[in-house]
Amino acid sequence: MMISWKRVNAILQKDFKDFSRNLAVSSVIFVPIILGAFYGRMGVESIETHFLLINMTFAMVAAFVQCCLIAEEKEKNTLRGLMLSPASTADILGGKSLLTFIMTMVVVFFTAFLAEYKPANIAIITLAVILSSFFYIALGTMLGLYSKSVLEASVIVMPVIIVFSLGSFITLVVEKYPILQVVTYLPNIQLIDLATKVEAGAGFGDVLVEFAIILGWVIAAVILTVIIFRKRMVD
Amino acid sequence: MENIIEVSSLAKVFGNQTAIESVDFRVKKGEIFGFLGPSGSGKTTTIKILTGQLTPTSGTAKVFGESVSQLKNSEYRKRFGVLTDNSGLYGRLSIYDNLKLYCDLYDVPLSKIDEVLDAVNLKQEKSKKVSTLSKGMTQRVTLARALIHEPELLFLDEPTSALDPTNSLHIHDGLRALNEKGTTIFLTTHDMQEAETLCDRVAFLNNGKIQLLDTPDKLRKSYSDSTITVELTNEEKVILPAGSEGANQLFNYMNTNQVVTIHSNELTLGEIFVQVTGRKLA
Ligand SMILES: Nc1ncnc2c1ncn2[C@@H]1O[C@H](COP(=O)(O)OP(=O)(O)O)[C@@H](O)[C@H]1O
Ligand SMILES: [Mg+2]
Repeated sequence: MMISWKRVNAILQKDFKDFSRNLAVSSVIFVPIILGAFYGRMGVESIETHFLLINMTFAMVAAFVQCCLIAEEKEKNTLRGLMLSPASTADILGGKSLLTFIMTMVVVFFTAFLAEYKPANIAIITLAVILSSFFYIALGTMLGLYSKSVLEASVIVMPVIIVFSLGSFITLVVEKYPILQVVTYLPNIQLIDLATKVEAGAGFGDVLVEFAIILGWVIAAVILTVIIFRKRMVD
Repeated sequence: MENIIEVSSLAKVFGNQTAIESVDFRVKKGEIFGFLGPSGSGKTTTIKILTGQLTPTSGTAKVFGESVSQLKNSEYRKRFGVLTDNSGLYGRLSIYDNLKLYCDLYDVPLSKIDEVLDAVNLKQEKSKKVSTLSKGMTQRVTLARALIHEPELLFLDEPTSALDPTNSLHIHDGLRALNEKGTTIFLTTHDMQEAETLCDRVAFLNNGKIQLLDTPDKLRKSYSDSTITVELTNEEKVILPAGSEGANQLFNYMNTNQVVTIHSNELTLGEIFVQVTGRKLA
């Protein structure tokens, strides 16, 4: 599949202008940052809490914002215009994801900075955060493509926010009910496991399994998104 | 002449609702083709099939000699433009920013923006936010967007439905100029006046079928009786039959300076439509 940076950039620029004037959605990005500052003042010790914030950023910025952006393009029938243009699936999905990706990275950075999270190995954590964000952006895109309006999208995305933000609480429940063991393979739990190992001095080689599982989620989510998108091109 | 659109036995069924059944027509390269029908007759459905947005239930549709399923290819997408009734513009952005996006997507220089805005009479308004525009202005922006890349083939779904007469005329001039430069236009409308002044050929669509297809001129001729109406100085209107009897009467009226106006009794396209389909447009 061909990707045209000119087209991706055109969509990014358009999205940036549009998003900055869409206060209802854009104000969401401040929630994790404010919480980060709040936790920073209280003094956060545990990795779980740091990643509660980071996973919440994924859910609220990467998934929720992306879902709303896509749903709005659907609702206003502008997605149709993009689909009828020479832009390829990769151009449209790439262009539509880039703004969300940049915002997610900026918000994760500020939130972690304010909460005073200092990873033992910044390279591994950065890579894991970038990889994880791809999963949430794809998830948001999928849900956005499913919903008919922004309102519907914001309802559909709620369970996702809850499940993925509250990763550490899920682990507690899982300990009680072993049948829920599969839940520990979710990318948010894997990210916490990875970060815990890194804090205990693990190197790249020690967290390959966690990386592989997250990567698996990313690949599955991207493939599904492309399939749904292609289906949406024809009524 | 080369056909740019070829449709045969085209049908589309939504659940148990038949939108179009067995539609056949060809559009020649370079013509303005009018697809006329009351609302619900299947005009939009046909455009959606022809632009690859909808898969037909049966039959074939070819554009540029290729099956419409091939239109996903970006090279084909550059060759046609579409205006549909639901605008698809970004409301928070200015007219200019909306068109800029499309320039970039279609590889068109930004200098085209002023040119197309001129054509739709909106050059002064380009920094206005789209959400603040009237319905008619929005429709004109959508039209500007559809023709910004100078497509070979333009699909217009009721392009002037929200416009006042002055702007409609301006748009008609623009479309004619575009057509003279080589753009083939497929236009749906329920405005018979528009079809009459703009189209080289028209198809009458009713209940998902084409009832009649010809040039407006031929249609008018074949549906007209050959009588003429003469208005006299005493405000009387007389209908004169064809042949020597009518000719003699006309001679007498003219000879005695009684004639104010003479009208041929051609039907308008709208009247022909009613006669053929038994129903009114719009
Ligand atoms: N997505 C759809 N689902 C169900 N019925 C539809 C759909 N689109 C169009 N129709 C039906 O098909 C018929 C033709 O519609 P349309 O092509 O929009 O007509 P027009 O554009 O001439 O007004 C109408 O009866 C309409 O209700
Ligand atoms: Mg219609």
